[in-house]
Amino acid sequence: MIENVGAIKNGVMARSKGAEEKLFDALERFPALSLYIKFAFKAFQRQLAYKFEYFVGVVNGLIFIFIFTSLWKNIFSNSQATESVGFTTSGIVSYAVFAMIIRISMSQDDLGVMGKIRTGAIAMDMIKPFNFFGVTLAENVGGTMFHWFTRAAPILAVCLIFFDVSLPRHPVNYLLLAVTWILGYLIYFMVNWLFAMLAFWVIETFSFQLMKYGMFTLFSGGIIPLDFFPDFIRPAVAYIPFMYILYVPTASFIGHISPAEALGFIAFQGVWVATLGLASVVVWRAAQKKLIIQGG
Amino acid sequence: MNDDVLISCQGLRREFTVAEGRAGLLGSIKSLFSNKTSVIRAVDDISFDIRAGEFVGYVGENGAGKSTTIKMLTGILTPTGGRALVNGVVPYEERVKNAFNIGVVFGQRSQLWWDLPMSDSLDLLRAIYRVPQARYHESLAELSDWLELGPLMKMPVRKLSLGQRMRADLAASLLHGPKVMFLDEPTIGLDIIAKDNVRRFLKKINKERGVTIILTTHDMDDIEALCDRIIIIDKGKIAWDGATARLKSDHMQGKILEVEFHDYNPKIHEAVGLTEMKSEANKKWLRYRGDGGAALNEVISALFRDYCVKDLSIHEPKVADVVKAIYQHGAEVGEDGGA
Repeated sequence: MIENVGAIKNGVMARSKGAEEKLFDALERFPALSLYIKFAFKAFQRQLAYKFEYFVGVVNGLIFIFIFTSLWKNIFSNSQATESVGFTTSGIVSYAVFAMIIRISMSQDDLGVMGKIRTGAIAMDMIKPFNFFGVTLAENVGGTMFHWFTRAAPILAVCLIFFDVSLPRHPVNYLLLAVTWILGYLIYFMVNWLFAMLAFWVIETFSFQLMKYGMFTLFSGGIIPLDFFPDFIRPAVAYIPFMYILYVPTASFIGHISPAEALGFIAFQGVWVATLGLASVVVWRAAQKKLIIQGG
Repeated sequence: MNDDVLISCQGLRREFTVAEGRAGLLGSIKSLFSNKTSVIRAVDDISFDIRAGEFVGYVGENGAGKSTTIKMLTGILTPTGGRALVNGVVPYEERVKNAFNIGVVFGQRSQLWWDLPMSDSLDLLRAIYRVPQARYHESLAELSDWLELGPLMKMPVRKLSLGQRMRADLAASLLHGPKVMFLDEPTIGLDIIAKDNVRRFLKKINKERGVTIILTTHDMDDIEALCDRIIIIDKGKIAWDGATARLKSDHMQGKILEVEFHDYNPKIHEAVGLTEMKSEANKKWLRYRGDGGAALNEVISALFRDYCVKDLSIHEPKVADVVKAIYQHGAEVGEDGGA
């Protein structure tokens, strides 16, 4: 059994090698770009080592989707007020399904960098001549590609067959998804990065992590669409980055918000990417300074 | 400064500010509100020059300042004072530029990717250090031959034994052909055979590739087998700096007597012709110089006559003993850099 797995894995690598090598030969003239793409490839490949984990991931995702869709169906069948927020029963079910799939596609190793800082293993990255922020992002992108193929795609297939959901017909929705997903992903990555950077200044970061998870769960729209929030909270939620991570891609994809509204949100996403990008670089500079001047 | 000086430290100093903890519950509550700090000087005015091709042992007890010095030379720590220069680059000012010139191996940490086969880790490093394909393959073939990496190439790093992992890390640190190599305890935890392999390899790259090596270790056998020069650092200061051969000729003539006394530990009077190196419980390590003075047999019979000796054994002095003596008594020996 184990030998078989090894043989399959070697087979996969042997086959993928040809195309990969050709790509990197072509990239030889752009060493920086080639490095980042290579990091993404290797991060993808590294995930292959943990086969059991992605089966569990698929099952977990399906369980969550089952729970939330059942919950929404129940709530909607027992209440009249719900229609007023703009969701039909089938609408809320497809929101729940796609929000969960997008959430799974974005899952990140948000404790990796923090662990490196806490254990001092970051020294091994600092002795290498590369941009740690760029390399971490590239690795994350590779991991995310892996999540798309091994978790998000199979879960989507199962949902289309067994749950009462369907894909939107209009190509505009897919275009909006591509743009809002990429921007949302970058926002999520940089929020995680900034929280990880805290480990340079505080020893015990657990409470900050808890805060981040809490805010993400509540305000990203992954579980409850923001339309259900009371009016006095909604404006405040618009001024923190979380709703732009899951709510905006999900709502634009399923057509809950119009393309015109989506464009407005994309502008906000762009502002957040720029703001957080700047903050990430500034904080990383300060962190490096702290590391090399104060000794971490 | 001499032309072939590759690494140079001048008055290098590094202080750390540490928060003072207070004992007890009340103390820890108090320390929440006041931040009393104290300054620790980890590296205190260190100066040395290392020439191209030297193999230097950088030795000291835990906390003596070895790693702090190495961190400053690899560019991941800025000194509080003084200056360091590695291959013409100030490492902490141009970390990335310096990183291209140096190879680093930390015995306690790996620079390889845990989940990747070794060959993929090496391929990533090729991209990081921008080594051209042709040079990479040549360099890898040579390193793989010396370190016998062939059978390990397809194995994920997490499945390698510590000895295999160290060989892989050594190859990883040398792929880009650095002129300088920093090794922090590369033989820690290895068995005798693996240690021997690592030592033979290090000797080879020092001699054949001409790589300048700074090695920190607690294993004095490493030093004895490898280093032409020893720098002993104690409490942040250089306690001794010179050729290994000179350390031997100055401190390792004669014999070491390990003497166990009957339930007491006397003070040995000078007349016996022995100097005390170390003492614990009712045991003493005494040094017999043998330059002029009484013959060894006379010294031993005097010892038996004057004291209640339970057991006695005679050893050849080892670098470890000498280094220990220097830690204990400080640098009573004159130091000079020009080994």
